[in-house]
Amino acid sequence: MPTDHSSDGPVAGYLKDEFKVLNAQIPRKRRSLTELLKEEHPHVVCNDGNTHFFKRKELEYLSQMLYESERNSLLLPIIMEVTPDQSGVTIKSKGGSEAKLLSKILGMTVVSKGNVITIFRPQLNVVRKALKTTTQYVFLFRNL
Amino acid sequence: MAKKVQITRPTKIELARLRRRLKLATRIQKIVKDRLSILIMELLQTVRECASVKERLLTEFSEAYRSLSITTGYHGYVSLKKELMVSEMAMKVNAGTRNVAGVRMPLFEIEKADLMKSKKKNMAGTSSFLDHSTELSQKCLETIIELAEFQKSFELLGMEINKVKRINNALEYVVVPGLDMTIKYLTMKFEERDREEAARLKHVKLLIEQREAYAY
Repeated sequence: MPTDHSSDGPVAGYLKDEFKVLNAQIPRKRRSLTELLKEEHPHVVCNDGNTHFFKRKELEYLSQMLYESERNSLLLPIIMEVTPDQSGVTIKSKGGSEAKLLSKILGMTVVSKGNVITIFRPQLNVVRKALKTTTQYVFLFRNL
Repeated sequence: MAKKVQITRPTKIELARLRRRLKLATRIQKIVKDRLSILIMELLQTVRECASVKERLLTEFSEAYRSLSITTGYHGYVSLKKELMVSEMAMKVNAGTRNVAGVRMPLFEIEKADLMKSKKKNMAGTSSFLDHSTELSQKCLETIIELAEFQKSFELLGMEINKVKRINNALEYVVVPGLDMTIKYLTMKFEERDREEAARLKHVKLLIEQREAYAY
Protein backbone atom coordinates (compact mmCIF):
# COMPACT_ATOMS: atom_id res chain seq x y z
CA MET A 1 0.00 0.00 0.00
CA PRO A 2 1.60 3.28 -1.02
CA THR A 3 1.84 5.68 1.86
CA ASP A 4 3.09 9.23 1.74
CA HIS A 5 5.77 9.66 4.42
CA SER A 6 6.59 13.21 3.45
CA SER A 7 5.11 14.78 6.58
CA ASP A 8 7.34 12.90 9.03
CA GLY A 9 10.24 12.24 6.70
CA PRO A 10 12.71 14.67 8.37
CA VAL A 11 11.76 13.29 11.77
CA ALA A 12 12.43 9.76 10.56
CA GLY A 13 15.85 10.94 9.38
CA TYR A 14 16.56 12.46 12.78
CA LEU A 15 15.53 9.25 14.49
CA LYS A 16 17.79 7.20 12.28
CA ASP A 17 20.75 9.34 13.35
CA GLU A 18 19.61 9.22 16.96
CA PHE A 19 19.60 5.44 17.02
CA LYS A 20 23.02 5.33 15.41
CA VAL A 21 24.57 7.25 18.30
CA LEU A 22 22.37 5.90 21.08
CA ASN A 23 24.36 2.74 21.77
CA ALA A 24 27.53 3.59 19.87
CA GLN A 25 29.42 3.73 23.15
CA ILE A 26 29.04 0.02 23.95
CA PRO A 27 32.49 -1.58 24.01
CA ARG A 28 33.17 -4.36 21.54
CA LYS A 29 34.99 -6.24 24.26
CA ARG A 30 35.24 -5.41 27.94
CA ARG A 31 38.58 -5.75 29.67
CA SER A 32 39.55 -6.67 33.20
CA LEU A 33 40.86 -4.11 35.65
CA THR A 34 44.18 -5.94 36.01
CA GLU A 35 44.69 -5.87 32.26
CA LEU A 36 43.88 -2.17 32.04
CA LEU A 37 46.16 -1.22 34.91
CA LYS A 38 49.12 -2.71 33.06
CA GLU A 39 48.52 -0.56 29.98
CA GLU A 40 50.08 2.81 29.34
CA HIS A 41 46.90 4.22 27.84
CA PRO A 42 44.02 2.12 29.18
CA HIS A 43 41.17 2.04 26.70
CA VAL A 44 38.49 -0.07 25.02
CA VAL A 45 37.21 0.07 21.44
CA CYS A 46 33.55 1.05 21.11
CA ASN A 47 30.90 -0.30 18.76
CA ASP A 48 31.35 2.63 16.37
CA GLY A 49 35.11 2.07 16.16
CA ASN A 50 36.07 4.94 18.44
CA THR A 51 38.15 4.47 21.55
CA HIS A 52 36.96 5.08 25.06
CA PHE A 53 39.81 5.96 27.41
CA PHE A 54 39.86 5.34 31.14
CA LYS A 55 41.32 7.71 33.67
CA ARG A 56 44.25 6.10 35.45
CA LYS A 57 43.20 7.80 38.66
CA GLU A 58 39.84 6.03 38.50
CA LEU A 59 41.40 2.66 37.78
CA GLU A 60 43.73 3.06 40.72
CA TYR A 61 40.80 4.10 42.90
CA LEU A 62 38.96 0.92 41.90
CA SER A 63 41.99 -1.28 42.45
CA GLN A 64 42.38 0.06 45.98
CA MET A 65 38.91 -1.18 46.85
CA LEU A 66 39.27 -4.69 45.44
CA TYR A 67 41.31 -7.82 46.08
CA GLU A 68 43.54 -9.32 43.38
CA SER A 69 40.97 -11.96 42.33
CA GLU A 70 38.22 -9.37 42.17
CA ARG A 71 40.40 -7.13 40.00
CA ASN A 72 40.71 -9.97 37.52
CA SER A 73 36.99 -10.61 37.42
CA LEU A 74 35.87 -6.98 37.21
CA LEU A 75 35.22 -6.13 33.58
CA LEU A 76 35.35 -2.51 32.54
CA PRO A 77 33.52 -0.38 31.66
CA ILE A 78 30.72 -1.32 34.02
CA ILE A 79 27.56 -1.41 31.90
CA MET A 80 24.53 0.41 33.30
CA GLU A 81 21.35 -0.58 31.50
CA VAL A 82 18.69 2.07 31.07
CA THR A 83 15.26 0.60 30.43
CA PRO A 84 12.18 2.74 29.77
CA ASP A 85 9.52 2.87 32.50
CA GLN A 86 12.08 2.13 35.19
CA SER A 87 13.04 4.54 37.91
CA GLY A 88 16.69 3.52 37.92
CA VAL A 89 19.36 1.64 36.03
CA THR A 90 20.40 -1.97 36.31
CA ILE A 91 23.90 -3.38 36.45
CA LYS A 92 24.67 -7.00 35.74
CA SER A 93 27.22 -8.39 38.11
CA LYS A 94 28.64 -11.89 37.66
CA GLY A 95 31.46 -11.96 40.19
CA GLY A 96 29.86 -9.67 42.75
CA SER A 97 32.75 -7.20 42.62
CA GLU A 98 30.43 -4.56 41.13
CA ALA A 99 28.13 -4.81 44.16
CA LYS A 100 31.11 -4.42 46.49
CA LEU A 101 32.34 -1.36 44.62
CA LEU A 102 28.95 0.30 44.54
CA SER A 103 28.42 -0.40 48.24
CA LYS A 104 31.68 1.36 49.03
CA ILE A 105 30.98 4.31 46.73
CA LEU A 106 27.40 4.79 47.91
CA GLY A 107 28.20 4.09 51.55
CA MET A 108 25.35 1.62 51.85
CA THR A 109 24.69 -2.03 51.21
CA VAL A 110 23.87 -2.81 47.61
CA VAL A 111 22.17 -6.14 47.09
CA SER A 112 22.29 -7.98 43.79
CA LYS A 113 19.20 -10.03 43.04
CA GLY A 114 19.98 -12.78 40.57
CA ASN A 115 23.19 -11.07 39.46
CA VAL A 116 21.32 -7.82 38.82
CA ILE A 117 21.90 -4.65 40.83
CA THR A 118 19.39 -1.84 40.68
CA ILE A 119 20.51 1.73 41.26
CA PHE A 120 18.09 4.60 41.54
CA ARG A 121 18.53 8.00 39.89
CA PRO A 122 19.83 9.94 42.95
CA GLN A 123 22.38 7.18 43.58
CA LEU A 124 23.33 7.19 39.92
CA ASN A 125 24.56 10.75 40.32
CA VAL A 126 26.97 9.70 43.08
CA VAL A 127 28.21 6.68 41.12
CA ARG A 128 28.80 8.70 37.95
CA LYS A 129 30.66 11.35 39.90
CA ALA A 130 33.09 8.75 41.22
CA LEU A 131 33.30 6.57 38.12
CA LYS A 132 33.13 8.84 35.12
CA THR A 133 35.04 6.78 32.61
CA THR A 134 34.65 3.32 34.11
CA THR A 135 30.87 3.24 33.77
CA GLN A 136 28.87 3.28 30.56
CA TYR A 137 25.16 3.69 29.76
CA VAL A 138 23.33 1.29 27.49
CA PHE A 139 19.79 2.01 26.31
CA LEU A 140 17.70 -1.12 26.08
CA PHE A 141 14.75 -1.66 23.77
CA ARG A 142 13.33 -4.70 25.48
CA ASN A 143 10.05 -4.32 27.43
CA LEU A 144 8.95 -2.19 24.52
CA MET B 1 -1.26 22.15 15.65
CA ALA B 2 -0.44 18.65 14.54
CA LYS B 3 -0.93 17.85 10.90
CA LYS B 4 -2.65 14.74 9.72
CA VAL B 5 -0.35 12.18 8.10
CA GLN B 6 -1.20 12.09 4.39
CA ILE B 7 -2.34 8.74 3.13
CA THR B 8 -3.12 7.93 -0.46
CA ARG B 9 -5.82 5.33 0.16
CA PRO B 10 -7.94 5.08 3.30
CA THR B 11 -7.96 1.32 3.84
CA LYS B 12 -7.96 -0.96 6.86
CA ILE B 13 -4.42 -2.12 6.05
CA GLU B 14 -3.31 1.49 6.15
CA LEU B 15 -5.03 1.91 9.52
CA ALA B 16 -3.22 -1.13 10.94
CA ARG B 17 0.06 0.22 9.60
CA LEU B 18 -0.56 3.61 11.20
CA ARG B 19 -1.38 2.00 14.53
CA ARG B 20 1.91 0.12 14.39
CA ARG B 21 3.74 3.34 13.60
CA LEU B 22 2.08 5.11 16.52
CA LYS B 23 3.09 2.35 18.91
CA LEU B 24 6.68 2.50 17.69
CA ALA B 25 6.79 6.29 17.88
CA THR B 26 5.55 6.22 21.49
CA ARG B 27 8.20 3.67 22.43
CA ILE B 28 10.94 5.62 20.73
CA GLN B 29 9.83 8.73 22.54
CA LYS B 30 10.29 6.97 25.88
CA ILE B 31 13.89 6.06 25.01
CA VAL B 32 14.62 9.57 23.78
CA LYS B 33 13.20 11.00 27.01
CA ASP B 34 15.38 8.66 29.05
CA ARG B 35 18.43 9.74 27.13
CA LEU B 36 17.51 13.37 27.58
CA SER B 37 17.15 12.99 31.34
CA ILE B 38 20.53 11.24 31.57
CA LEU B 39 22.20 13.91 29.45
CA ILE B 40 20.71 16.64 31.63
CA MET B 41 21.94 14.86 34.74
CA GLU B 42 25.44 14.66 33.24
CA LEU B 43 25.32 18.32 32.23
CA LEU B 44 24.34 19.45 35.72
CA GLN B 45 27.13 17.39 37.22
CA THR B 46 29.63 18.84 34.73
CA VAL B 47 28.45 22.37 35.52
CA ARG B 48 28.88 21.77 39.24
CA GLU B 49 32.35 20.35 38.76
CA CYS B 50 33.29 23.10 36.34
CA ALA B 51 32.32 25.74 38.91
CA SER B 52 34.28 24.05 41.69
CA VAL B 53 37.38 23.65 39.48
CA LYS B 54 37.17 27.33 38.47
CA GLU B 55 37.02 28.36 42.12
CA ARG B 56 39.99 26.13 42.91
CA LEU B 57 41.92 27.56 39.98
CA LEU B 58 41.41 31.12 41.21
CA THR B 59 42.70 30.21 44.67
CA GLU B 60 45.68 28.36 43.22
CA PHE B 61 46.53 31.25 40.91
CA SER B 62 46.45 33.78 43.72
CA GLU B 63 48.67 31.52 45.84
CA ALA B 64 51.07 30.97 42.94
CA TYR B 65 51.34 34.72 42.24
CA ARG B 66 51.94 35.45 45.88
CA SER B 67 54.65 32.82 46.04
CA LEU B 68 56.22 34.07 42.81
CA SER B 69 56.35 37.64 44.08
CA ILE B 70 58.06 36.43 47.30
CA THR B 71 60.55 34.44 45.22
CA THR B 72 61.23 37.43 42.98
CA GLY B 73 61.79 39.56 46.07
CA TYR B 74 64.22 37.03 47.51
CA HIS B 75 66.27 36.32 44.36
CA GLY B 76 65.85 39.50 42.41
CA TYR B 77 64.21 39.75 39.01
CA VAL B 78 67.34 39.33 36.88
CA SER B 79 68.70 36.34 38.76
CA LEU B 80 65.29 34.63 38.79
CA LYS B 81 64.88 35.18 35.06
CA LYS B 82 68.32 33.73 34.46
CA GLU B 83 67.47 30.70 36.59
CA LEU B 84 64.15 30.11 34.84
CA MET B 85 65.74 30.43 31.41
CA VAL B 86 68.01 27.45 31.96
CA SER B 87 65.47 25.29 33.76
CA GLU B 88 63.24 23.02 31.72
CA MET B 89 60.21 20.93 32.33
CA ALA B 90 58.98 18.07 30.18
CA MET B 91 55.23 17.84 30.28
CA LYS B 92 53.09 15.11 28.79
CA VAL B 93 49.34 15.37 28.48
CA ASN B 94 47.44 12.29 27.39
CA ALA B 95 44.44 13.27 25.33
CA GLY B 96 41.65 10.85 24.54
CA THR B 97 37.91 10.63 24.35
CA ARG B 98 35.21 9.18 26.52
CA ASN B 99 31.70 8.45 25.43
CA VAL B 100 28.73 9.35 27.60
CA ALA B 101 25.32 8.31 26.29
CA GLY B 102 26.42 8.80 22.71
CA VAL B 103 28.35 12.04 23.27
CA ARG B 104 32.06 11.93 22.65
CA MET B 105 33.82 14.08 25.20
CA PRO B 106 37.49 14.94 25.60
CA LEU B 107 39.66 13.42 28.28
CA PHE B 108 42.94 14.99 29.35
CA GLU B 109 45.34 13.50 31.78
CA ILE B 110 48.63 15.00 32.79
CA GLU B 111 51.44 12.55 33.48
CA LYS B 112 52.72 13.29 36.94
CA ALA B 113 55.98 11.38 36.46
CA ASP B 114 56.96 13.87 33.76
CA LEU B 115 56.10 16.82 35.91
CA MET B 116 58.46 15.61 38.59
CA LYS B 117 61.32 15.58 36.09
CA SER B 118 61.62 19.36 35.96
CA LYS B 119 65.31 20.16 35.86
CA LYS B 120 67.07 23.01 37.51
CA LYS B 121 70.60 23.61 36.37
CA ASN B 122 71.88 25.42 39.40
CA MET B 123 70.76 23.78 42.63
CA ALA B 124 73.06 25.91 44.75
CA GLY B 125 71.80 29.22 43.45
CA THR B 126 68.10 28.52 44.05
CA SER B 127 66.02 28.45 47.18
CA SER B 128 63.01 26.61 48.58
CA PHE B 129 60.93 29.64 47.59
CA LEU B 130 61.54 28.85 43.93
CA ASP B 131 60.70 25.17 44.49
CA HIS B 132 57.47 26.16 46.18
CA SER B 133 56.54 28.54 43.33
CA THR B 134 57.26 25.82 40.78
CA GLU B 135 55.09 23.36 42.66
CA LEU B 136 52.23 25.85 42.81
CA SER B 137 52.47 26.70 39.13
CA GLN B 138 52.45 22.98 38.28
CA LYS B 139 49.29 22.64 40.31
CA CYS B 140 47.77 25.54 38.36
CA LEU B 141 48.66 23.81 35.10
CA GLU B 142 46.96 20.60 36.21
CA THR B 143 43.83 22.50 37.17
CA ILE B 144 43.77 24.40 33.86
CA ILE B 145 43.86 21.11 31.98
CA GLU B 146 41.09 19.73 34.18
CA LEU B 147 39.03 22.86 33.57
CA ALA B 148 39.55 22.60 29.81
CA GLU B 149 38.14 19.09 29.88
CA PHE B 150 35.06 20.09 31.84
CA GLN B 151 34.44 23.22 29.80
CA LYS B 152 34.51 21.35 26.49
CA SER B 153 32.37 18.51 27.88
CA PHE B 154 29.87 21.06 29.12
CA GLU B 155 29.68 22.63 25.66
CA LEU B 156 29.26 19.29 23.87
CA LEU B 157 26.61 18.10 26.31
CA GLY B 158 24.66 21.32 25.85
CA MET B 159 24.69 20.90 22.07
CA GLU B 160 23.58 17.29 22.30
CA ILE B 161 20.79 18.17 24.74
CA ASN B 162 19.49 20.75 22.27
CA LYS B 163 19.48 18.15 19.52
CA VAL B 164 17.74 15.48 21.61
CA LYS B 165 15.21 18.03 22.85
CA ARG B 166 14.30 18.88 19.26
CA ILE B 167 13.79 15.20 18.48
CA ASN B 168 11.70 14.74 21.60
CA ASN B 169 9.58 17.77 20.76
CA ALA B 170 9.12 16.60 17.18
CA LEU B 171 7.88 13.26 18.44
CA GLU B 172 5.73 14.72 21.16
CA TYR B 173 4.12 17.55 19.23
CA VAL B 174 4.24 16.46 15.58
CA VAL B 175 4.64 12.75 14.94
CA VAL B 176 2.53 11.21 17.71
CA PRO B 177 -0.40 13.72 17.50
CA GLY B 178 -0.28 13.52 13.68
CA LEU B 179 -0.55 9.75 13.72
CA ASP B 180 -3.22 9.93 16.39
CA MET B 181 -5.25 12.36 14.32
CA THR B 182 -4.94 10.26 11.17
CA ILE B 183 -5.99 7.10 13.02
CA LYS B 184 -8.99 8.95 14.42
CA TYR B 185 -9.86 10.26 10.96
CA LEU B 186 -9.62 6.81 9.39
CA THR B 187 -11.62 5.17 12.19
CA MET B 188 -14.37 7.76 11.79
CA LYS B 189 -14.31 7.30 8.02
CA PHE B 190 -14.70 3.52 8.36
CA GLU B 191 -17.49 3.93 10.88
CA GLU B 192 -19.25 6.30 8.51
CA ARG B 193 -18.76 3.82 5.67
CA ASP B 194 -20.24 1.05 7.85
CA ARG B 195 -23.23 3.20 8.71
CA GLU B 196 -23.77 4.03 5.02
CA GLU B 197 -23.48 0.36 4.17
CA ALA B 198 -26.07 -0.55 6.81
CA ALA B 199 -28.45 2.13 5.56
CA ARG B 200 -27.95 1.01 1.95
CA LEU B 201 -28.66 -2.60 2.87
CA LYS B 202 -31.80 -1.59 4.70
CA HIS B 203 -32.94 0.39 1.67
CA VAL B 204 -32.23 -2.52 -0.68
CA LYS B 205 -34.05 -4.88 1.66
CA LEU B 206 -37.05 -2.54 1.67
CA LEU B 207 -37.02 -2.32 -2.12
CA ILE B 208 -36.92 -6.11 -2.42
CA GLU B 209 -39.78 -6.43 0.06
CA GLN B 210 -41.84 -3.85 -1.87
CA ARG B 211 -41.13 -5.63 -5.17
CA GLU B 212 -42.17 -8.95 -3.66
CA ALA B 213 -45.41 -7.37 -2.34
CA TYR B 214 -46.27 -5.95 -5.81
CA ALA B 215 -45.59 -9.32 -7.41
CA TYR B 216 -48.36 -10.91 -5.41
